[in-house]
Amino acid sequence: MATKKRNKKETISRREMFQRGKSKPVGTPSQSGAGRKFEGDLAILNVALGLEHEAIAAYNAGAGSKLLTADQLKLAVSLLNDHIRHRDVLIKFIRRYKGTPVQPKSSYDFGAITSATDIVKLAHGLEKGAALAYLANAYKLESNEILSAAVPILVDEVRHTTVFAQLLGLPVTERLKV
Amino acid sequence: MSIEQLRNTTDILSFLDDDRQTRREMLSRLAATASVGVIGYLFSGKLTAVHGQAVDGDLGIMAAALYLEHEAIAAYQAGAESKLLSDGVLKVAVAFQRDHKFHRDGLIATIKQLGGEPLDAETKYSFGSLKSEKDILRLARELEKGAVDAYATLAANIKNKDVLNYGAQVLTDEVRHLTVLNSVLGMPNY
Repeated sequence: MATKKRNKKETISRREMFQRGKSKPVGTPSQSGAGRKFEGDLAILNVALGLEHEAIAAYNAGAGSKLLTADQLKLAVSLLNDHIRHRDVLIKFIRRYKGTPVQPKSSYDFGAITSATDIVKLAHGLEKGAALAYLANAYKLESNEILSAAVPILVDEVRHTTVFAQLLGLPVTERLKV
Repeated sequence: MSIEQLRNTTDILSFLDDDRQTRREMLSRLAATASVGVIGYLFSGKLTAVHGQAVDGDLGIMAAALYLEHEAIAAYQAGAESKLLSDGVLKVAVAFQRDHKFHRDGLIATIKQLGGEPLDAETKYSFGSLKSEKDILRLARELEKGAVDAYATLAANIKNKDVLNYGAQVLTDEVRHLTVLNSVLGMPNY
């Protein structure tokens, strides 16, 4: 129960972070008009990158916990690889648009993880938060190539969220709404 | 896309009523129609053919998306009326159909708002032989997969931010549907 409460709090925190990010560009965009035009994109990308770093750390924690069955581990590794791919794509675009990619935190507090269910709940919370973040922000992107790169990431996050919702016996007939 | 072009699209789509045509033949004919490149793409699934081509516009994309929504609603309706679905599957099918109706209504409203004319559903669809629950699930999965691919590929071509926002929400639903159907059919989701 404590984990659930914490996840909800984190989701709200990420949403707030996104809202702040939109009006407070990060990175070092160029001084050209084109550079300024994409400052909002850079802010969104860097918040997204922070979420990818967090997800990668969470999956690594889960995979290294020895709590997962062989099948669960296979799933976790596959989804971890998706997030690694997302991270690399985001870093590539942040650099291309003259931004500075945020670094992963030196450590993440994922709360007490004492069972495979704890890991699945943690993953579901993070994936849902990420899916909602992309859903809330992808349409704001100005760069067509960045948008093209963000859409398949949204698709992955929704797929991941749905897989974990099914594993947890949560309803899958409800729309994911921002 | 201009209204005139949209009307042309409607004309081109009108032959879909001819149920002697197989869907694939129809889609191929659409794909070969240069003036509706986006629509052609949607139905042909030829990704490379569209890249680099000028996009006809948000109305064209929405017209094609609306076609897919009409089709999905009809497919779920056929499944629900077949009496082949177990209670649990029927419940999910009804929920997914409700999502598609929501998409349809949103697309129709947006198309009208932008001065376009929404296409009506076809009077009849041919979904092939549906003799078991699995046949219906496979059909639904195929349609959802097509919708995910179409929305995911075309989203970046949408110019209007409100339309794009709506499209992202629709895409999110389609991915959820596809993931669930994959699971039910024992197909991989990763």
